Amino acid sequence: MDFKESGFMYLLGGLVVLFVTGQSFFFLIRAWKQGLKLGLPKQKLKGTLASSVLFTLAPALAILATVITLAGALGLVVPWIRLTVIGNISYEVTAAQSILEAFGVPGGLAVEITDKEVFAAAVWVMTIGSVLPLILMPLFLKKIQAKIGKALNSNAKWSDLMSAAAFIGLIAAFIARAVAGAGDENIVGDGAGVLSIIALLSSIAFMLSFELICRKFDLKWLEPFAMPLSMLLAMLLAALASQTLPESFVTIEWRG
Amino acid sequence: MKNERTYYDKVHRWGKISSISALAMMLSVPIAICLYFDIWPSAAGVFKGLLKIVPLFWTVAIIEVITYAPLLGAGGTYLSFVTGNISNLKLPCGLNAMENAGVRANSEEGEVISTIAIAASAITTTLVIALGVVVFSPLLPYLTAEESFFAPAFKQILPALFGALAAGYFGKYFKISILPIAVGIVVLIFAPKLPVGTLIPITVIFSLLGAHIMYKKKLV
Repeated sequence: MDFKESGFMYLLGGLVVLFVTGQSFFFLIRAWKQGLKLGLPKQKLKGTLASSVLFTLAPALAILATVITLAGALGLVVPWIRLTVIGNISYEVTAAQSILEAFGVPGGLAVEITDKEVFAAAVWVMTIGSVLPLILMPLFLKKIQAKIGKALNSNAKWSDLMSAAAFIGLIAAFIARAVAGAGDENIVGDGAGVLSIIALLSSIAFMLSFELICRKFDLKWLEPFAMPLSMLLAMLLAALASQTLPESFVTIEWRG
Repeated sequence: MKNERTYYDKVHRWGKISSISALAMMLSVPIAICLYFDIWPSAAGVFKGLLKIVPLFWTVAIIEVITYAPLLGAGGTYLSFVTGNISNLKLPCGLNAMENAGVRANSEEGEVISTIAIAASAITTTLVIALGVVVFSPLLPYLTAEESFFAPAFKQILPALFGALAAGYFGKYFKISILPIAVGIVVLIFAPKLPVGTLIPITVIFSLLGAHIMYKKKLV
């Protein structure tokens, strides 16, 4: 039996999952109760819950795919743990790659780790590399939010505009990447190109159509699903496009 | 007002406890592995590996906590930073939920809605990954393999996700959206390989500055 996927490793993974779900349920229940206390309608809370679950499905599958990608070198369990707590793909790949280089392992992540020492070292580096927010938050979060809250509450119109502007700044970075960013040269479809533009524009079009339909036919129940559905439809369209359009056209990526 | 204060205070207390427990749990994983396999990697090797990533990762972490905290709300921030995948999942999810519910990000209603959305998202992600690892790991390669029908779809998650999000936001805030998108594209023209995590703080700062100036000049 491979030591990286032994019963002991699965036990560790299971405990991490228990912790994370327990914590999330705790916050969920408290927020739900507070929402009812504030007079938010139950319907609205349920809508939030359902649309968030739907919204998360596709990205969660993508995260699962990265677990599988890393599993080649690290076994299934460590990538699973790392992507359940804090992890994200670019961090974990970089961290694992860096430790393999430090230990002079040839081939890097493309090769399965068989040395227990390298394996343990990789887990240490991946963990220490990503724990800082857990130290910063208990120390500073309350102060940061109190300061910002004070600034925001003094002028409601300005503060609404500022929080919208911050969201838009975030969205703009991803839009810019879909339009002009270079991808990983080993991955077809990762850089800005025909497919990223198809996905971007079609999801905008789907979203606008859903909004129009909701408004025209007064479909309140559909509103929370407009966004996740637009996303999934746009992804489906990208898959269809890459099957039906000429390959020389759909694989164009102008930034490499 | 008094009620608001107590709820926020409680959230921060729970948040502190859960962050510290999460920290302890995370560190106990490598410790448990070393104890169980009775193998302790050389400190010099680990240090050498850390040296390459910590300066970058920890700087980004500081910027992320400051940038995302006001957007996610208190409960949302504590949860997001334990479960990760913030800019590509938790933040858009919370955003979408607040937009749908018609609540302001920095109100107590916004705090509640964003916490519910992010908690639901965290639970879904955790369960999907866990189920996937246990049940679907033999099947998954067929879904995401290079030759599968769905493979191109999975590579376009981010454009599809942020396109739909943009449609809702840019319609309402068209004027302040132009500058950050333009800045993002210009930066990428000169540095196409810049990771999106580094680009986010740049576009956010320009977006805030632009919106502030337009507000002062009474353009919005």
